Amino acid sequence: MTRSVYVLGAGAHPWGKWPDKPQLQLAHEAMNLALADASLAWPEIQGLVAASSRFEGGMGWGLHANEVVQSVAEQGIPCINVGGACAAGAVAFQTAYALIASGQHDVVAVLGAERMPKGFIPRPPGSPDDISDSDYLRWVAMGATNPAYWAIEANRRKFDFGTSDETLARAAVMMRKNASGNRLARFRAATSIEEVLASPMVADPLHLLEICPVSDGAAAVILGTEEYTRKTGRKPVEVAGCAIATGEFGDPARRIPTVSTNVLPNVSHTSEVVNAVNSACEMAGIGPEDVDVLEMADNTVWHLLSWPELFGFYEPGQGDWMLDNGKLEIGGQISVNPSGGFLSFGEATTAQAVLQICELTWQLRGEAEGHQVPDATIGMSAVLGLGANGGSVILKT
Amino acid sequence: MMAQQHASTPIVEGLFEIVAGTPKLIGSQCHACNTIYFPQALSCRNPKCRDKSVEQTFLPHGGTLYSYTVQRYQPPPLFRMDHWSPYALGLVDLGDGLQVMGMLTGIKLDEIAIGMTLKLVVEPLYSDAEIGEKLTYKFAPAERAGAA
Ligand SMILES: [Zn+2]
Repeated sequence: MTRSVYVLGAGAHPWGKWPDKPQLQLAHEAMNLALADASLAWPEIQGLVAASSRFEGGMGWGLHANEVVQSVAEQGIPCINVGGACAAGAVAFQTAYALIASGQHDVVAVLGAERMPKGFIPRPPGSPDDISDSDYLRWVAMGATNPAYWAIEANRRKFDFGTSDETLARAAVMMRKNASGNRLARFRAATSIEEVLASPMVADPLHLLEICPVSDGAAAVILGTEEYTRKTGRKPVEVAGCAIATGEFGDPARRIPTVSTNVLPNVSHTSEVVNAVNSACEMAGIGPEDVDVLEMADNTVWHLLSWPELFGFYEPGQGDWMLDNGKLEIGGQISVNPSGGFLSFGEATTAQAVLQICELTWQLRGEAEGHQVPDATIGMSAVLGLGANGGSVILKT
Repeated sequence: MMAQQHASTPIVEGLFEIVAGTPKLIGSQCHACNTIYFPQALSCRNPKCRDKSVEQTFLPHGGTLYSYTVQRYQPPPLFRMDHWSPYALGLVDLGDGLQVMGMLTGIKLDEIAIGMTLKLVVEPLYSDAEIGEKLTYKFAPAERAGAA
């Protein structure tokens, strides 16, 4: 049996740096907001799926769901902890969706809560210092930082399509403009092309304001059956499609932290995300042209230009014209990251994909105060994580 | 001169070798489907390949620049380099569908151009009184590769 699944509630702690709040507290606050939004309380929750982090919480074993349940409601429910790095929230969502669609449970919560370490992310303990560990290799042999990988993509785009530095900067300006109306975003001050281009160059052609920093944040979503969504008395938000995928051999994307790429013709760039998006569209029975709102992982301005092209929203290279002509702004042809995106939030890795789904829920309900996309009825998320993890969720109302 | 008693060694064992004065990257090639990997791989990764067994091979020592960037900030301490200053990182197409990342050398940062022909070279990255001189592979404009 497959049952329809609905978003009953969504909640998120504002993104920022919260040195006085442990990860567990951020998790509690996001869960409480999502429960209140769904007019539910812990006794109704039949399962919790949490995105596992390697930075804080989870008893050191990524047991984030167990830790939350033990601290607030020891009611014997299944606790599932899922990995997926920056896409873990999408993997968690997919898992919770399946628990309900299969008929096994009626109400399941999805949680991602993260406090990011200061400075560069250290290698995990026990990693081997030899050629078998590409994360070791990329540091010692050439010092390749994450922005360097994205910058290599951006420079190639400039070569292929003539993308200008001004257009790249305009993407950052648009994210800040969108974030100015979103109280959950960390960076809400308006910026300008001049200010973006005057910010320090990190890795040519990407400037500091064109790359997302890291943040602390937490988000939660409660999923449930049609019967439960009726009880809320709200406009139902249905999960029309959701999928996770991993990368394909021959994908030309410069995958962090590898130092080489095997490129084959006819394999999508960023295939883990493209394949997840395609599967989610197929499940929902829609095409990219039907999507009103796209919430996507904008680790840099390059992502904002390239990803919608990779998903088939428009032709490769057309992103520059779309952006320059305001077609991607709130209420444009397709509203890209009305939330303000990773560039305005900073990335709280495992929480990010859950936040995307919260944002889509609010957009479809018409509750995205200050950054509402008019008449949004179909929203899509897209996220990428280390290990070539991709995820996409499509909601409709 | 402190490093004199130590040999110059690769930054990571098994990454490259100097064969008759010519630096060569060490990779793996699949017996069945001929796919080439860098660095050496445990197994072929081609999903259509049923054999999967690989053997060590040397990679072509030249290629064309597919794209690049200039790192303006010093990477975290795992990376060591004497006399740090911003440097270029390139993605070099070695042919047969293999693209390899590496530092660029022997060219001014504002003269780097996508499509240029590059040769593999080996240069010291840093030297240390305890462990001697550490070498890494880089790519240089083809016409002056002999200088390495
Ligand atoms: Zn093979």
